[in-house]
Amino acid sequence: MSFPITGIGAVTSIGDDPDEIFTSLCEGRSGLGPLRGFDAERFTARQLFEIDDRTGDGDEPGRATRFLVEAVRQAVADAGLPDDLGGIPVLVGTGLRELRSLELWWRDGAPFTADGLDFGPALRRRFGAYDAHTFAGACSASLYALALGWDMLEQGETDTVIVAGCDTVTESMFGLADRVQFDPPALVRPFDRERQGTILGEGAAAIVLRREPAAGRPVRGWLRSVAVNCDAYHQTAPDADGVRASIEQAQAAAGSRPEDIDLVVLHATGTPLNDRTEAEVVAEVFDGARPAFTGIKALTGHTSGSAGLMSLIVALRSVESGRVPPIANLTDPLPEGEGLRLVSDRPLTTPVRVAQVNGFGFGGVNAVAIVAGAA
Amino acid sequence: MTAAVTEVAVTGVGVVLPGLNEPGGLPHGPVAGAAPVDPAALIGKKGLRFKDRATQLGLCMAKAALTDAGLLGPRGLLVPGDRVGVVVSSNLGNADTVCRAVATIAEENTGALSPMDTPNASSNIIASEIAIRFGLRGPNLTVCNGVTSGLDALRWARLTLRSGRADHMVVAGVEPDNDITRRLTGARMVDGGAAVVVGRTDAVGAAGPRLLLGPSLRTEKLPDCAARLADAASGPARDAAAGLWLGAGPSAVPPGAESADLSGWGECSGALGLLQCATAVAWADSGRTEPVYALLGGADGEASGTVWTPPERAV
Repeated sequence: MSFPITGIGAVTSIGDDPDEIFTSLCEGRSGLGPLRGFDAERFTARQLFEIDDRTGDGDEPGRATRFLVEAVRQAVADAGLPDDLGGIPVLVGTGLRELRSLELWWRDGAPFTADGLDFGPALRRRFGAYDAHTFAGACSASLYALALGWDMLEQGETDTVIVAGCDTVTESMFGLADRVQFDPPALVRPFDRERQGTILGEGAAAIVLRREPAAGRPVRGWLRSVAVNCDAYHQTAPDADGVRASIEQAQAAAGSRPEDIDLVVLHATGTPLNDRTEAEVVAEVFDGARPAFTGIKALTGHTSGSAGLMSLIVALRSVESGRVPPIANLTDPLPEGEGLRLVSDRPLTTPVRVAQVNGFGFGGVNAVAIVAGAA
Repeated sequence: MTAAVTEVAVTGVGVVLPGLNEPGGLPHGPVAGAAPVDPAALIGKKGLRFKDRATQLGLCMAKAALTDAGLLGPRGLLVPGDRVGVVVSSNLGNADTVCRAVATIAEENTGALSPMDTPNASSNIIASEIAIRFGLRGPNLTVCNGVTSGLDALRWARLTLRSGRADHMVVAGVEPDNDITRRLTGARMVDGGAAVVVGRTDAVGAAGPRLLLGPSLRTEKLPDCAARLADAASGPARDAAAGLWLGAGPSAVPPGAESADLSGWGECSGALGLLQCATAVAWADSGRTEPVYALLGGADGEASGTVWTPPERAV
């Protein structure tokens, strides 16, 4: 079984829509910059991948919502859906919800009420969507939401579902990470021997998924499977068995063998332990197969809740264009990944029929999706 | 009695409230003079240090529900952990960690933060800690969907079970009471909640069904949801007057029907749907055979609703 993806939308620090983001990735443009919303004096780390949309000095509330609404707007327009979504389900995966707005309420007295923590009210106001749902799921949140979207179509609960992910950076998350990171990384260097950790980023991504293609509308790609599980191992450290199980489940559900997969978009956050675990597992799973491997976080930062869906949209663009953007800042691959066909330096031109997308999160929440081009 | 299709049923329940640890007392309201729940007294001190209040409460109710469902013994889980998942419903679970951290940074700098708070900055901490403690490796979800969260969590658990991603799901609704949650909601919070285990009735290791979960309804407005719930009842239950209504305003309850009010327990937010479900389990356990209608929604906002049926009525 597979379901058509009929619309896509995304915003990040390196682009205001999927085309611009994909071009930036291929050209090596980074969104890393000095802190825009936080008081730099109070942190050891001084860089983030922020979207430069603030109008005044300091920070402002409601930005995660703003990014989400824009990504959904793009996806809805791309799919040719009406602007009034009504009962069409909208499933939003997020790591940090509107917790940044909560912080500004508590610290500065910015207006805020408890119902602003989730995205339902905003989606209702903007799109008339009354079946919207916010899931908090760390760094795999949007792929987890995608799994539920898949299940709704498969169980006949809806013909169309919108799946999205979004996050800004909260000061509490950034600050707590800063507390334990004495030597902050200058760059995000996924799968590199010299990687020193990740840097958070902002963004939102959305897709429209349908049971059947809409007559006269383009299909952006096909979703073949989504697998989700949990390591039940550690709050922050990954577990190879859980990661491997999620990949094997996704491949089995898609009916894809490792050798059928042309491209893997890695989770690849640039943290020492996460990248090592992911490299070990994919080296084992793809032993004998030769897919290309890439990842986007060197240029977008770790966009948490939206990261998985962002990677999926990049995979769809690679399927469509036959171009795979390189992993930026990768010069010397980590030993566990030495046998892997890691794309670096420049884009790789290669036919991509089937792509796998990895998303692994805090708390060991793993999600893996498989997408394909025209059947 | 065999069902033609796999059903999803509640097989265990755990209630964690001040002075109450079983669902039968829910409709009677708060216990006078009861002290706040002491998680260490319920599940032991081990492993509770540095966990936020909501996570501690969530662990207590998950343990009670898993034990009640016969899935957890003294030596651990009695079924394969990869077939058991978790859904947590909580809107304000980590609000205190987040607000305290940002205040500390403003007063000093990040050096003054406690690194032990780091996992609590992520909103999925309760669900991931439940998974870690009990070895639950199935799908792990956290629903933060405002007033309808609790019933929505049950909707997603049922979907996940029907699609075959798991055999059992622990569904917990929990909200903590502290200065920050009180200021945000303007009310004393429930400081507890309830969990249920829901499972496929054909799953290995499943206890007997206590309550069958019906499909979920979602409507633009609360009154529409109440009307459609009454219509959704089939067979002998068609007479909606014969049943228990939860979460409906007095005007929405059909004449002659029973209703229960859980509002005395404080602001329940994400815990309310699970407290409703626990109330329904007690209704069925007490021998009542009529359906339970549960509703959640804001005054002008969208609403979620569902019908739960005691298993004797299942066809």
